Amino acid sequence: MKTAATLTVNGTDYPIEIDPHRSLLKAVREEIGLTGSKEGCDDSECGACMMLLDGRPVNSCSYLAMQAVGKQITTVEGLAGGLGVGALQAEFLQQGGVQCGFCTPGMLVSATALLRRNPRPTEDEVRLALAGNLCRCTGYGGIVKAVMETAAGHEPELASPPVHEARHATHRAG
Amino acid sequence: MADTDAAPPRPRFLRSDGKEKVTGAGRYTADLTLTGQAFAKFRYADHPHARITRLDTSKARALPGVVAVVTQDDLPDVRFGGLVQDRTLFAKDVVRFEGEIVAGVAALTEEIAAEAARQIEVDYEPLPVVSDFVAAMEPGVPPIHPDLASYEKDENVVADGNTMAYSTIVKGDADAGMAEADLVVRGRYVSDASQGVPIEPRAVVAQWRGDEVTIWSSTQVPYAAREGVAHTLQVPEANVRIVVPLLGGGFGAKCDLHFEAQVAALARAAGRPVKLVFSRREEFTAIAQRREGIVMEFETGVTREGRLVARRAKLVLDKGAYCGEGGFLGQMAAMHACGPYVIEHIFVEAFLNYTNNQPSGSVRAPTAPQVCWGLEQHMDEVARAIEMDPVELRRRSLIEQGAEGPTRQIFDEIGMKRTLERAVEMIGYERELPEDEGIGVAVGWWPCMPASSGAYVHLNGDGSGTIVTGAQENGSGAVMAMPMFVAEELGMRPEDFTILYQDTAAANWDMGSCGSQTTFNSGRAILAAAADVREQLLDAAAEELEVDRQDLELADGTVRVKGSPDRSVSVGDLAGAGTIHGKGSGDVPEVPGGDTGGCVGRLGNETFLAPQLITQAAHVKVDRATGVVRVLKVAAAHDSGMILNRSGADGQVTGGVVMGVGLALSEGTQLDDEGRQRNPALLDYKLVTSADTPEIEVDWIQVPAKGAGPRGSKGVGEPPQVPTAAAIANAIASVVGTQVRQLPMTPERVWAASRGAGA
Amino acid sequence: MSRSFTSAGTLDEAFAAIGAGARPVAGGTDLVVGARQGKAPLPEAIVAIDRIEALRVLDDTGGGLRIGALVTHEDVVASAAVRSRFTALADASAIVGSHATRANGTIGGNVMNASPAMDTGGPLLCLGATATLRSASGERVLSLDELWAGPGATTADAGELLTAIEVPAPAPGTGSAYVRLEYRRQMEIAVVGASAVVTLADGSVSDARVSITALSPTIRRVAEAERALVGGDGGDAGVAAAARAAAEGAAPISDVRASADYRTAMAEVVARRAIAAAIARAGGGDVPIPASDALYGA
Repeated sequence: MKTAATLTVNGTDYPIEIDPHRSLLKAVREEIGLTGSKEGCDDSECGACMMLLDGRPVNSCSYLAMQAVGKQITTVEGLAGGLGVGALQAEFLQQGGVQCGFCTPGMLVSATALLRRNPRPTEDEVRLALAGNLCRCTGYGGIVKAVMETAAGHEPELASPPVHEARHATHRAG
Repeated sequence: MADTDAAPPRPRFLRSDGKEKVTGAGRYTADLTLTGQAFAKFRYADHPHARITRLDTSKARALPGVVAVVTQDDLPDVRFGGLVQDRTLFAKDVVRFEGEIVAGVAALTEEIAAEAARQIEVDYEPLPVVSDFVAAMEPGVPPIHPDLASYEKDENVVADGNTMAYSTIVKGDADAGMAEADLVVRGRYVSDASQGVPIEPRAVVAQWRGDEVTIWSSTQVPYAAREGVAHTLQVPEANVRIVVPLLGGGFGAKCDLHFEAQVAALARAAGRPVKLVFSRREEFTAIAQRREGIVMEFETGVTREGRLVARRAKLVLDKGAYCGEGGFLGQMAAMHACGPYVIEHIFVEAFLNYTNNQPSGSVRAPTAPQVCWGLEQHMDEVARAIEMDPVELRRRSLIEQGAEGPTRQIFDEIGMKRTLERAVEMIGYERELPEDEGIGVAVGWWPCMPASSGAYVHLNGDGSGTIVTGAQENGSGAVMAMPMFVAEELGMRPEDFTILYQDTAAANWDMGSCGSQTTFNSGRAILAAAADVREQLLDAAAEELEVDRQDLELADGTVRVKGSPDRSVSVGDLAGAGTIHGKGSGDVPEVPGGDTGGCVGRLGNETFLAPQLITQAAHVKVDRATGVVRVLKVAAAHDSGMILNRSGADGQVTGGVVMGVGLALSEGTQLDDEGRQRNPALLDYKLVTSADTPEIEVDWIQVPAKGAGPRGSKGVGEPPQVPTAAAIANAIASVVGTQVRQLPMTPERVWAASRGAGA
Repeated sequence: MSRSFTSAGTLDEAFAAIGAGARPVAGGTDLVVGARQGKAPLPEAIVAIDRIEALRVLDDTGGGLRIGALVTHEDVVASAAVRSRFTALADASAIVGSHATRANGTIGGNVMNASPAMDTGGPLLCLGATATLRSASGERVLSLDELWAGPGATTADAGELLTAIEVPAPAPGTGSAYVRLEYRRQMEIAVVGASAVVTLADGSVSDARVSITALSPTIRRVAEAERALVGGDGGDAGVAAAARAAAEGAAPISDVRASADYRTAMAEVVARRAIAAAIARAGGGDVPIPASDALYGA
């Protein structure tokens, strides 16, 4: 039933066995063990599973893992390089864009996709681009502000603990 | 967001769970994997109401890969529930709603478990389905719980037929009051049921070690879960350890015992760890925690000067099939039918009725947003009847210091009227608007929930410390803020502390993340524990430095002599012997007295401790041709006492308001004639997205609360959702010329109301 | 039969796999979601066609348009040709699902799903688009009317793949618009939508095409509405009459999203807005894309 295949996640090749019916989300979470991407629904409505596929955002719960073979898959774990905290992530914390955190990985992925395509978005562009990611805690204000501040290149002023490292890693490809 | 505080801004609060949340490293329950774990699936009822005539699990048990099948026959014959114990873990003889669990299966893979659940054979004798919760109390309607009289229940519960709990609020003589009034205004409002919808669907993992079980669960209330597991499986609480990994939101939907016991039973039967992860559909249909549907009838006697002489109200609430922790909903709704107003005579009655619908339970400020939505529209109708501006009517009738509540509770200094003036100011109430835009104002209230709590603070030899709390972090940051409070008390830095939390084996009992009470009660315990440490440090330092205690102060991680900072000893040195351990609970605030003698079915909350008082004003635009409403701005002015963590508190308001916008406009669970949900998916149960979020301006009326939370605080988390839908409703009515009398106020309902008004 | 998956790099590879019994998937989203919700199991043998580069091309054919089946909504919205000459299609692609849906969802997937609620269907139909179906043995070209057989059903054979949508050049003086009733600004599925393509000549409407989305088993043009416009001056009265006619031709159902009465009433509203926007654009006026958002409250 399973096929040997290699998924390339955050720049690393993972040789695994994949059932052709397996979703990309399940393969990455369960076969590769990167659990940052979340499952919040089963119909591409919540966005918690958002990944980048060759730079394009995709609801990985509704995408077959086998179709991602040979493509560059980026998850939240790869956004700032090696579990670092980049400028976007720091702004999410600084602006109150994180509460329960369950939507955060998908939000960060969608925001990254937006900023790569449109480095200086208007607030309305940010709001439209994040509409596929549901958040129930924050009311979105802190999240939108975090994306705007990141785009403006403002240094987040962090009280404690310092989370500045890898500041410029956010816009790296892959 | 307006920051009207004159004080210089404190450094923004950064949560210690932040880094793991923004990097994807954090683990939620569904992210856990234990060696040998099996996957659980439930077989749900095939009818909303039916007697089980045959239940055969043999085919499922024979399926290769199945490691356990459990039904109620395998478990102790005990029922659970809060005020009424009316439910078993798995269905016993009768199923009473579509999400009732008939059996549980554990298998090596999810696919096998799902197949095994399908292969369980169940025969039913269908019973009449009671889905209409008003008709449920009519004579001749068959009872959903024929044995209700024999169930264990709280002594104050007044049950009759399908009415699980009947409650009244009585003050003076409402009939006489109505006769005395210049005008009597009546209004009827209907609210659909709705859902909490945390983005994380719930997950449970259970593993036994001998007679002890550890359960990882996405619960808001680990101690209630522990109690429920112990009760239903008949094991000592000491043998049950609940651990909550990161919790992906709750909003009340993850209160109460929910599925921990079923998964534990499966794990015990399987002899291996078992994991359950809900689909979004199950998260809609199988949980026993949704916001209840309510039919509300209000009647208000008023003078032409705006004095509220009398209020009568009848509320009928949909309890659904089982009590759960929601037995108090009728009583709570009755208080909200009075509202934060001075009213001379009151008779409010609430019927909390069983149906074959999904059970209702606490969802963020249970009952308040719906009743507030009805009442505040009714108040605008009252204002119109006496030809008075609705804000002016509220100005004249809201509670203030010395005023008497619905049960003759006398209020301390409160900021109710100041919240009204501030919200009206922030929204620009008097300004001219285009004809398709409108502004509405609504007020609301919510009590603080006193409960015991406990905390420990351990200091380590290197000058670091560990806070141990039973409090549960739901995302609000309430637990994450605790190091700030402890550090301030001890002259240390917040980053000197880590928090051990969400583990029932480590900490004291706590009510959990519900009732806006984490800082209110757990914060008090933390401060008491910190004060205990402080005393111990002072004692130890006094001995070490050979000075009098009162000459010492705590600063910069040391205890030092006042005025001689060179004479000091570090906290680490004092803690090096391993003897500095603080514990604390603090005194539980007392619920204020009143005159509740005339009230029937008293289940608590007849008076409101340290009421949180809210005014919100909404500015909306209505597409009159379609009924589609866009909320442009919400101004929120809250009296939650003193605010201890401004950014965290603001976050509660913005999140609560947006949830309130959803409740107002789109979030309604639709049922078919048999109580089955028609929209158990996010495509047709629509949450507000980032593209539809209004501008939100927040301000706090900081009146120190006496005998309440730590440092003059009250709760914060639930009130933001209370008046949002109401304010939006009044804004819509100002545009379309009539009230929209059903919640949510969907485009179709706004359009229909607008046509009815001839607009 | 055991599960298998192959990825085709060319149409020939795809047809070979299909000949061996595999079902083609492009993005796969609807299939995966459908399987997870228990509607239909995933096919045992799958051939992915998303890497056939030849199907990714959007060609401005000098007036007309050739849209490869794998062109995404995002690509459609970004196309200057689409925005200027086939504006209704840009209105539609701009509001499909979320940014992720638009980045992955394709025109071909939309058309072949044959959902009566698909956003791009009405604009393509009114713009006179045709579908090119290829099989191992040949190629045929169908109008969309001929392609769509019912909700979720097409007249394509199991061995046929949609390769391209061809849209003819609009006549000079043509404007078009698609307007959807939106409860939310994003993440919507059409409860009702309307498309209009209107050509103005010498101050009057020389040609008009109007369709209603989501109110019948397949999206159809409404001849009565078109007749109400042609020969008129494109003023408010004519637009209103055409919108009424468009709504009267609908066969709505009541469901969890709306009642039939509301759908009928809203058909008239969105038809009025779409027709008015098409006329405005035909006359050189600026109605921003997407028109649905721009015309809120109009």
